[in-house]
Parts: sequence; structure tokens; C-alpha cells
Amino acid sequence: MKPETVVIKPMPSRFKHKVPKYKVTRSDACINCGMCAKSCPYGVHERIEGHNKMRPPIDYKCIGYECRKNDEFYCVYKCPRKALSLSLNPMYETLGDCRWTSDMIIATWIMAETGYPPERTDIGYQTGNSDGGFDKLRLKFPVNPLKVERDEISTELRLNRRNDGRSNVVISTPMYGGGMSFGSVSLSTMLSKARNATIWNTFTCTGEGGYPEMLYPYDDHVITQVATGLFGVREETIQRVRIVEFKYAQGAKPGLGGHLLGEKNTESVARMREAVKGTSLFSPFPFHSVYSIEDHKKHIDWIKQMNPKALVSVKVSTPNDVDMVAVGSYYAGAHIIHIDGGYGGTGAAPDIAKKNIAMPIEYAIPKVHNFLKEEGARDAVTLIASGGIRTAHDLVKAICLGADGAVVGTAEMVALECVRCGNCESGRGCARGIASTDSELADLFDDEWATQRIVNLYHAWNYQLVEILQKFGMKSVSELVGRTDLLEHVDYS
Amino acid sequence: MPKKYHIDIKATPLNRDFVSKFKIARGENCINCGKCTKVCIYEAHKRGAKDPRKIDDPHMALCKNCFRCIQECPRGALVKSLDPDFLALGGSYWKPDMLLSIWKQAEDGKVPVSGAGYRGPFTGPGFDGMWTDMSEIVRPTRDGIHGREYISTAVDLGRKLNHLNFADTGSLASNIHQTVDLPIPIIFDIPACKLSNNIMTSFVISAVAAGTFAIMPANDISADIKQYINNIIPLVSPDKITAHQSLISGARLVAIEYATALLNDFGSVKDSIKKISQAVTIVRIPAMTGIEDAVTKLARSGAEVIHIVADYRGMEAPGLRQRFLKDVVRAVHLRLIEERIRDEITIIVSGGIAMAEHVPKAIICGADLIAVDIPLLVALGALLYEQPEMTITLPDWLEKLPAATVVQRIVNLMGAWHSQLLEVMGAMGIREVRRLRGETGRAIFFDEIDKDTFGKLFQQRETASI
Ligand code: SF4
Ligand code: SF4
Ligand code: SF4
Ligand code: SF4
Repeated sequence: MKPETVVIKPMPSRFKHKVPKYKVTRSDACINCGMCAKSCPYGVHERIEGHNKMRPPIDYKCIGYECRKNDEFYCVYKCPRKALSLSLNPMYETLGDCRWTSDMIIATWIMAETGYPPERTDIGYQTGNSDGGFDKLRLKFPVNPLKVERDEISTELRLNRRNDGRSNVVISTPMYGGGMSFGSVSLSTMLSKARNATIWNTFTCTGEGGYPEMLYPYDDHVITQVATGLFGVREETIQRVRIVEFKYAQGAKPGLGGHLLGEKNTESVARMREAVKGTSLFSPFPFHSVYSIEDHKKHIDWIKQMNPKALVSVKVSTPNDVDMVAVGSYYAGAHIIHIDGGYGGTGAAPDIAKKNIAMPIEYAIPKVHNFLKEEGARDAVTLIASGGIRTAHDLVKAICLGADGAVVGTAEMVALECVRCGNCESGRGCARGIASTDSELADLFDDEWATQRIVNLYHAWNYQLVEILQKFGMKSVSELVGRTDLLEHVDYS
Repeated sequence: MPKKYHIDIKATPLNRDFVSKFKIARGENCINCGKCTKVCIYEAHKRGAKDPRKIDDPHMALCKNCFRCIQECPRGALVKSLDPDFLALGGSYWKPDMLLSIWKQAEDGKVPVSGAGYRGPFTGPGFDGMWTDMSEIVRPTRDGIHGREYISTAVDLGRKLNHLNFADTGSLASNIHQTVDLPIPIIFDIPACKLSNNIMTSFVISAVAAGTFAIMPANDISADIKQYINNIIPLVSPDKITAHQSLISGARLVAIEYATALLNDFGSVKDSIKKISQAVTIVRIPAMTGIEDAVTKLARSGAEVIHIVADYRGMEAPGLRQRFLKDVVRAVHLRLIEERIRDEITIIVSGGIAMAEHVPKAIICGADLIAVDIPLLVALGALLYEQPEMTITLPDWLEKLPAATVVQRIVNLMGAWHSQLLEVMGAMGIREVRRLRGETGRAIFFDEIDKDTFGKLFQQRETASI
């Protein structure tokens, strides 16, 4: 259920035109009779008062082939000259990729705009086209589920399972925002993530670029990240939060630290990171002080000492022995084990690393879940998965595979109208103002717009999650954990 | 410490369009308002140089697909699509994006970096069916932790001894074989299409600059190329050894074309080479069914280096089944280990090596080093088409390029690949590329892990498709 602070408001695109899926073509046979303008209720066809000629069709407003059934207004049938035709817009192919298909991006935009899953049935966004992992898993709903009302269903997730007297942190929806440092994204982006986390009673993470002052009002919903670069990490930033995350590795560049190219290291970024402006900042591969599980424990103890209430999260990538690492982290005292599979990531990374990572999260979740169970430790830790969780369906599948919840990164960016062009690192940064600290570009939207877009997205996901739980006849998302029997795989039966 | 191996990269843009991925058409309803010129931060849209009232055709090599002009043009006059020339390029193995990436690496010598996560398929045929395991952090490794400046990418080619023998007096009784050291595990294979003598010369000079070798059919080695024989591997057929005496005498490595007769008689061929020079001998053998047996026999009869050549898409010759290079190499490597002779010989593989990641992947599967061909030409603007049949076309302006530019572009590509190899090894905590060989524990194979995870969770269907 959503917390009371969540209010859904429509928040339309900040651009004049949307990206069209269809193309409406008007041939020379047109006699400018105006019939199409009169019939189409969506406003695709326009003729300005006093003009003879029709305006070119406004493709993005067209609802596509579904319109065929509308005998009373489908323009292609209505046109007396048969001058109109409908096809897929070639532009659509230039949006997205096989992991994040154009349909998935458009659906996410609709969710961020309206707060609900799309009503259109012509957008297949529940799986992508990557041909593996989540995209080959399907949910298996029972024929006669137990009847459960929407408001009986809990989507809460308890993060501290150790009974160690530390904060009893409970989040309202089983997901939170991934670490994106100031420097890799704009302040508006960062701020809107934090405001959303507060509104949704969940979390966002600083990333490794320090703790900007403007996040102070949201302290209770911010995770301070301690990463190998130790950029901007101070005692004070560890003491002000409820969760501290150790980032040992991230999926998009395991074994590698972050990259922040010189151009993006502006004056303000450098100040925050206590570094020199304009220099490229690389986080070293490992923590140079961690060579063993004992060293790891020492780090965790250090945090616990410094902040006696805080929960400790350990973020690792997914190598072959990720299960051992997870169990090791549990014994070292971690409350949350956050495994980050390869196919996610938002910041700049070498292509070779993005692709070759370690194992995709779909394999790592059951591996870690089962090993923690065998060790009798599963009930004492929270297992969070990330790296390629794109939709509420991915979230549900991840939980069925054994995670308690997920961290999302890219989906939040897409809510802010990221087109996944991948140029976040080049020159002045993101042309769309999301991942840029360039003063002009970062001003392309304000944080009110951005906050509402993310709040809406979380709502749409939560709405869908509740819907799915209802179909399973479950009252709580925790019942879903590890239920691989509710999944099927296209290649196996 | 020996002198550090370093590849001198230098930005060498040709200011020519290779191929562009996108095409933007400006409709007739454009009112030349100039909004697109303002919103495109990459400057793909510009006002006309001659007539500033009009907007020029967009410069598509600069477009980075941000959609801003599309979404902000007040008239909706711009339509973007995938460029048909781009779509026609390459094929199912040599994806157009790969070719574009090779071109870019030749321009600046840099490691390709991008944001927003991985965008490709989950898995795929060929090398896409495996992932490297790059998580040093969580597994302090046997080599310890160190910066990339301590990572060695050097390999040596030649026969090694299984063990040393000592005489009663304590002096070394074994005869140590000649080997050749290379600073990178990459050599240049025979150019994938016919090159002019000029380009061929630059090609060899770039091998010299990168500190490696170029394999060349002996007949193609002209008098002015011959001066670089120190970095050339002449390829001769076993019966032409004496005919090419003068070449072989100066070479450090010589490649012999495979013939079945070699299987049991490598010794006599080696003897005839020995009469001419000290060159280490490579046997060049096509990847084919039964290659494991052939390689084992060759190794047993004293072969020093074996070069397994797959086709341009990394496939072995058609037979009962046709395996991809990675599976061929794994099979050969495992067989040689079973036979306990793996460490005695050097294995080179080639065919379908298209991206930097293929180098560590081939090595993890069991190769000592790789030979590269097509990418070296793509660096020079060559266009490759897989359909209807494999063709490589060289751009007509290639001959006009200064030799130094040609050399630098190939060097840039190798520099970028070398940096990426370091990146992967650094992340794995592997300090020497020699130790990466056959290290399948540092890789995750799709077939294995998918069966191990989902196969166990969901019962396997009779005909599982992958
Ligand atoms: S209905 Fe047909 S003929 Fe009439 S204005 Fe529309 S396209 Fe032209
Ligand atoms: S540069 Fe492109 S991929 Fe990166 S945040 Fe901006 S729109 Fe998204
Ligand atoms: S923004 Fe549109 S109308 Fe204005 S110049 Fe560009 S293409 Fe023409
Ligand atoms: S899509 Fe973006 S990068 Fe391409 S021309 Fe338009 S504004 Fe420029």
C-alpha cells in the first residue's frame, strides 16, 4: 500500500513532441476536404482556420492499428480519397535497445506521467527482447486464487532482521533508488530521487560523490555510500543516516571503480569530492584495506561504532562465488546484502566491462538465496537485487527467485525522460539534462517535475505489484520470496 | 623491471564519415527557425555556411541520438530513422555496431566508454555465450592486488620443456628451445583482402610500431617490405622451404601451411628450416572436425607453435558439426592437458576476432595468443558485408592517406585493445596474461550456468532452444 504522503498528479513530458510509434502518411491524392480532422478524436489531423491545406499529421497522437476497429472515425477508412495510410514509424526503431525496448521506454514514460500502468494495449513492456533471463521468465498465476482485496495487501519490507537493537527500518514498497553520485547526475536529479524516497518512505543512495547539503532534509531516507574512492566520505556523513552502504563492486564494472571523466568534474563536483576540478576521477578497483573477510568485518565494525543506530548494507557484484561473499558479509555483520548484476548500471563504464561483468542477476539471486538458506542465515539478512530490474514484472520475478526487494536505477532515469542514448559521459554530459552538471543542461527541468515523475513511476509499479499479489492470492509481498514455483521459463518446462 | 611496453596512441581522425547509424530527414514544413541548431549540443544541425537563412542537412556522424531536435522542433519536421547503409553493413556476426566501434577506436585509440548500462542481448552465439568474471574485489586473488602498470601482457612463442634434466655434474642437460617474446598476445594475420604494396608496407610498419608480427604469404613479400622481416612471419608451404630460403633466413618466426604429411613428419620439415635459420616454426592449420587429434599429433611430433584458423565468423570447417572458435579452442586445450603436453606448445587462434573482449575470452578458453585480421582493415575504413557473400571493400581514398596516418590508425586500434585487455585483467586481479590462459574459472559460460540455475529450477524440456 502506498504511504499517505504519496499523491498522484499527472506530470506530462517536458518536450513539445512525444516519440511516435506510428506513422500516418497522407498522399498526394488528398483534396484537403478536412474529413480526417473532423473524425479523429485524438487530434492527429489539423487544419488551421483559414488555411486551405492540411497540416502534416501529428504522428505521436495516433493510437495505431487498434484504431481500425473504430468504424465511426478511423481516418484511413473515412478518407474519401484513400489518401491516408498507417505504418510503424521508422523513428521508433531508433529508440531503445533489446534490453530496454522502445515499448518499455514509452510505457515507463506513461507511468511517470500518469502514475498508472499504461492503458494502451499496443505496448508490450512486460518483457524486453534480450532473449534471456527475466525476458524468458513468465509468471504462473493460479486459476482460483484466494480472494484478497487491494487494501489488505502489504508491500512493506523490513530491512533489519538481526534483532540487534539497531533501527527497525521498514520501507513501504520493496524497492529503493540506486546510488548515483553528484557529478554523474545533476542536482535536480539527485534531489528528486531523495524527495521521492521520502514521499514513498523508502531510500535513495548518495553514490560515491559525497553528501550534498541539499539532501540534509531527507537524511532519514538517504543511504550514505562508502566506496573505494572514499570521495567526500566523512564521519559526519556516516552519522546522519539510517543506512550506510559499503560498495565493494558494482555490476556494470565489477573489479573496476567508478569513472568520472574530467569534463564532468566541474567546480561544484570537485568541491563535493574534495578533488581537483577538471581531472578525471577514478575510483580504485578494490578497497586497499580489504584483503580478507576479517578486514571486511573491521570495516563494518568501524561503521557500527561510528553510528550505533545505522544498518549496514554491503553492495557486491556477482562473480562465480557471489554466494560465499554474501554469506561472508552476513557473518561480518551486514544487515542488507545488495547484489548487483551486470546488465544494469547508469554511469559511464567501459563497454567491455558493461557487457562482460560477472553473472547476470537472474542467476545470482537463487544462488545467494539458497546458500544463505543452507547456512541458516537467510532469515537474518535482507537480500536486495539490482542490475537490470526494469519493470514491476522484473521486480516480482526477482523476488520469486529469492530476493526480498530491489534497487532500481535506470528506470528512475527513464522516468525523467532518459532515452538511453548512452552519452552520459561525453562532453558536457547528458543532452537531456539528467546526467549532467553542466549549468545550462542541468536546468532543463526542475525538481518538482522530476520528483512527481518518479513518485508516479513508483506508484505505477506498486499498483502493479499489488495487482500481481492479488492474482496470486497473497496478502504480503514477503509471501512471494523464493517462490520459483510461480515462475516458468520459456526454454524449460 | 624491463622497459614498460607502451603503445603510442594519437588521435587520428580522418574527418570522413565511415557509416552513420542514424539518418534524419528534414521535412518540407521546416520553417528554418533554428531551434534544432540550438538544442543539439553535438552540433549536428547547423545553419547553412553559404546561406544562413537555411539550415544545412544534418551532419549525422555527430548525432548521438538524444531525440532533442526531434522532440523540440516546433513543426515536428524532423524524422529520424536507422540509416539503411548502416543496416546493410556487416551481418549476423559482424554487427554494424561492432564495425563502428572499431572505426572509432582507430580514430582515437581510446577504450570505448558509455553510460546507461549494457544494451545488447542477454547471451548469444560465439563469444557472447560467455562472460568474464571480473570481480577481483570480493576475491583477493592469487596474484594479489596491484595497479595496471604492473600487469604484463607478454607471451612467448615456441616449444617449452615439460621439465628440466640435469647431468650428474649438476649442469643443465636439457636443450632449451628457442622462443620469441611478444609484448602483447596479438599478432596480425594475413590481410583479409588484397592490399596494394603501399598499404601493405604501412601495415607491416604498424606491426613494428605495436611491437608485434604480421603474417604474410611469402609470395606477397616484396623487396621493400622485406626490410621489416624482423616483424614478419612468412607463410610458406612445406615443399617451398628452400625456394624461400632468403626470406626464412632473416625471419624470427616462420609459418608452414598445414598438410596431412606434417602430422607424422614435422621433424623433417623442422630440420629443413633449421638448416636455413633459427626461426621458430608455426604450423597453420584450419579449424576442422578432429582438430584436437591433429594438434595432439603435431605436438607429439615436436611442433612448436600451432595456429588454428577458423573462418571469418569464427567457425570451423563444415563437418559433422560446426563449432565456434571458443568451443574449438576449449576442446583443443583440454585434450592437450589430458595428454599432458599443453605447456610444451604455443597455440595461436584466429577467425572471428572482432572486438577487444574476444582477446581475453579466447585466451581464457585456452589460446596463448590470437591473430587479428578484419578489424585492422576496418580501422582503415574497409566496409565488410556478410551478404550475399563475404566481401570487404576498401575505400577509394585509402591510397591517398599519408602512410603515417595508416600506421597510426592501426596502432590506435591495438592501443585501445591493449588498454581493454589491461582493464579486464586488472579487474580480475590477474597480473600476467600467461596466467589467464585456460583460466575458465574466470569465466561464466551461458550453457553451463543456465542449465545449472534454471535447468534445476524448471525441468528441462526435450528440445530446449537457446
Ligand atoms: S480525409 Fe483524406 S482527403 Fe480529406 S483531408 Fe484528410 S487525408 Fe485529405
Ligand atoms: S545521456 Fe542519454 S542515456 Fe545518459 S542519462 Fe541522458 S538521455 Fe539517458
Ligand atoms: S527546429 Fe524544425 S522548423 Fe526549426 S529549423 Fe529545425 S527542422 Fe526547421
Ligand atoms: S537527435 Fe540529438 S544528437 Fe541527433 S541531431 Fe537531434 S539533437 Fe542532435
